[in-house]
Amino acid sequence: MLRQDHYKTSVYKTPFHERTSELNILNEWSRWKDYTVPTNYFRTDLEYFAVRNTTGVIDYTPMVKQKITGPDAAEFVNRFFTRDMNKIGIGRVGYVVWCDEEGQVIDDGTVFHIRENEYWLLCVERQLDNLENSAIGFDVKIEEITDDIACLGIQGPTSCSILKAIGFEGIEFLKPFDIKHYDFRGREIIISRTGFSGDLGYEACMANDVALDFWDALFEKGEIYGIKPFGLDALDLVRIEAGLLVPGQDFMVAEDAIRPGSTRSPFELGLSWLVDLSKPVFNGREALIEEKRKGSRYTFVKLNIKGNKPAHGSYLYNQANKKIGTVTSAMFSPSAKANIAYASLHDPWNKDKDKIIAEIYYQKDLEWNRVMEEATIVTKPFFDPERRRTTPAELY
Amino acid sequence: MTRKNKNIAIIGGGHNSLVSAAYLAKAGFNVELYESRSEVGGMASTKELIDGYRVPGVAHLLHQTDSKIHKSLNLNKHGLAFAASGLKTISINPKGNALIFDDDSVTGDDITMKEQAEYKEFRQAMKKLAGFFKKSYQTAPPRLGSDETKDMTRLMSLGWNLRSMGKKSMRQMLKYIAVNIHDILNEFTDHEHMKGSIALDALLGNRLGPRTNNSAITFLHQLTGDLNGVQGSYAIPEGGMSSYSNALQKAAESAGVKIHTNSPVKQIDLNEENKINGLILESGEKVNADIVVSGIDPRSTFMCLVGPKNLESHYVHKVNNIRMRGNTSKLHLALSGLPKFKGVEPEDLGHRIINAPSMKYLELAHDHTKYGECSDQLPMEIIIPSIHDKTLAPKGHHVLSAVVNNTAYELKEGWDQSNAVVLENCLNQLEEMAPGIKGLIVHAELLSPKDIEDEYGITGGQWHHGELTFDQFLMLRPIPKMAQYKTPIESLYLCGAGSHPGGGLMGLAGRNAANEIISKES
Repeated sequence: MLRQDHYKTSVYKTPFHERTSELNILNEWSRWKDYTVPTNYFRTDLEYFAVRNTTGVIDYTPMVKQKITGPDAAEFVNRFFTRDMNKIGIGRVGYVVWCDEEGQVIDDGTVFHIRENEYWLLCVERQLDNLENSAIGFDVKIEEITDDIACLGIQGPTSCSILKAIGFEGIEFLKPFDIKHYDFRGREIIISRTGFSGDLGYEACMANDVALDFWDALFEKGEIYGIKPFGLDALDLVRIEAGLLVPGQDFMVAEDAIRPGSTRSPFELGLSWLVDLSKPVFNGREALIEEKRKGSRYTFVKLNIKGNKPAHGSYLYNQANKKIGTVTSAMFSPSAKANIAYASLHDPWNKDKDKIIAEIYYQKDLEWNRVMEEATIVTKPFFDPERRRTTPAELY
Repeated sequence: MTRKNKNIAIIGGGHNSLVSAAYLAKAGFNVELYESRSEVGGMASTKELIDGYRVPGVAHLLHQTDSKIHKSLNLNKHGLAFAASGLKTISINPKGNALIFDDDSVTGDDITMKEQAEYKEFRQAMKKLAGFFKKSYQTAPPRLGSDETKDMTRLMSLGWNLRSMGKKSMRQMLKYIAVNIHDILNEFTDHEHMKGSIALDALLGNRLGPRTNNSAITFLHQLTGDLNGVQGSYAIPEGGMSSYSNALQKAAESAGVKIHTNSPVKQIDLNEENKINGLILESGEKVNADIVVSGIDPRSTFMCLVGPKNLESHYVHKVNNIRMRGNTSKLHLALSGLPKFKGVEPEDLGHRIINAPSMKYLELAHDHTKYGECSDQLPMEIIIPSIHDKTLAPKGHHVLSAVVNNTAYELKEGWDQSNAVVLENCLNQLEEMAPGIKGLIVHAELLSPKDIEDEYGITGGQWHHGELTFDQFLMLRPIPKMAQYKTPIESLYLCGAGSHPGGGLMGLAGRNAANEIISKES
């Protein structure tokens, strides 16, 4: 059940607020749904490098969380999401998207198959209404648990060592997307080997009242492993390198879109691998089959752009100077040592013939400059270290 | 695969199913029809009230039918004959001043020549507008946003039909389509009794008051049908209402349809890919079929027979939200003699008698409906079919059949508690209209919308399988994307009144569906 005391305070503090506010020396905060969380703690690039080189900790409690339970839970999620959910066994996590009746992506998220007949959906936008509408005829119960569960992302090469040092036995044997239920001082903590960084990393979900104890244990044992908190700005950098999309930035949430044509199907986001058209029924299937027949309107690509000026919001042109797309996310990647971006391409872009040229604006001493830089399409993730997959995970 | 070896299983044996079955069999398909009751015809049937007295099941007048279907299925040859046709409508009021409507003319109740002319003008204008609907009723409605030639032609022909009515009618159509019968009638005449009598036609079977929007559509809808080429005419078939269904049954059987009665369907059998296997009957028997056609209402079809798990959730949500709130009950009386209605000449008793003395009367009855109550002043359409058909009651005895509107499906008290109360109300009202009738009653029953739901399996007991309102009309009926009789399940089609063009005894939904199936599955 969601908290209902909005009128008392404009934003809520997360269960970790006592600690995060102490560490947030810049005092920079962002609103994320009903909560406030640090934008930056001390310096974005240093927070970024903590994630890449040691361990970064992010408070992602505001992530919307919904619990689906009941005898029909498995059937329910299989009809709701586009991918084959039967492949996500008990104790496993899956990345998912789901569509409206036009086959347009409503949101993306992760589904935790917590135990038999119990799934958690973690995502950006509230889905209670969609889930409830979809539940007609299924014996399931849908609960909003966002305010009941505190969540931390523990990401980086030394993350496994820290968790092991706290006493989570066997943590190194978790394979990517595995879930394990741990007892922490008499309370349950659910740890999964998942995260936004594209690196070795874990996510921990717990009841609000053990949040501070867990945080303290983490930072106490983590000190020698270089543990640092990181905020939303650094998160945005690691997730672009990891190849992960953000609804509302890389695509329009179908339900929020005002203009027809501004939404995207999974195919148009490069997410065909998440769509299983051989399933007899799921939301959006009919429209997606139709799209397969007619062809998609957009192509989603990862770009490697010449130069070192990030192509924030750039228009993309072909060699004939015709507009063929826009950049949705961009950064200079310190790890890939490349100027990287995500882009949505459209007609008259020709895959085989066209060059892609980004129109980049940047400032020097308040003066605006413009460069036209050629870009090439990259198919592999920008950042994909072997240790992300290695099991047992590396210990230090 | 050719039509010859494709098997079609039809669910339900109402008139639309029978029409569909006949056309499909004529086109060369192997057609079998499954009806849960012991006879076909659904709501257009005759039933035994008590030993020796038979009454129409629900529908009691042949009114809104389609003469093209009659002809092409040769219903006359298959035994359809009229015991009476061209029935007049006699509208009674408490003062005993009856108004008598006969096609475009009206007499009685101090009506002036001016008002008679107003009535004629109104009728002619409305018949012309209904003509627009009638044309659009002959095919599946266009699919909006489709780039198929068929849909574009249909959309254009809708526009052309509107344009070809001429400037005046086109303006009237645009002006009236979204308003209510109350406002339209007030433009034409001041005669309160006449206005009430006309307005009743917009309301029967529907959940509307005269001032409710959409009552213009329902009025025009009931005017679209014809009988022997006469628009808006009423008849009583010889041998009771089931003879209409029997004629359809014979037409279907002579075309090669196999009819199975007492064969309720449990579910539509789908394979692992959600494709049609056939049907599973309540008996457990499996029926193989290449195509399944459902003549029952869309909500029951999808929520019960297909199952919500086999549909994308937006379909489930929409089907679940089709408004199908029944509002109409049937009153059946076995009488030991002929009653005398105030203001009705004895030789006129065989005509259609209605109780709708003013629009205010109807609106007040609807006010109760809105709040889950039942007024003690209810609108009624009464006929005494035994005057025309002596087989319905013992010699000298009669049966009376009345459609009673404004008896909401979801009465606050529940029908178990209310049935006896509403019946008593109706009888008291009848006693007012026909003093002494209570003394003639041998037996009385009231079939509430709940009873109709239970007996005929129609959600909400809604006659039209879904209220006929602008948002559930043409390409929105029963829901967008299913309005062309096709459903999201491949080779499952709808042919009932829940589809375009809706209820009445037209059979057009059945025939249009058959045409779509013939063109898609050949």
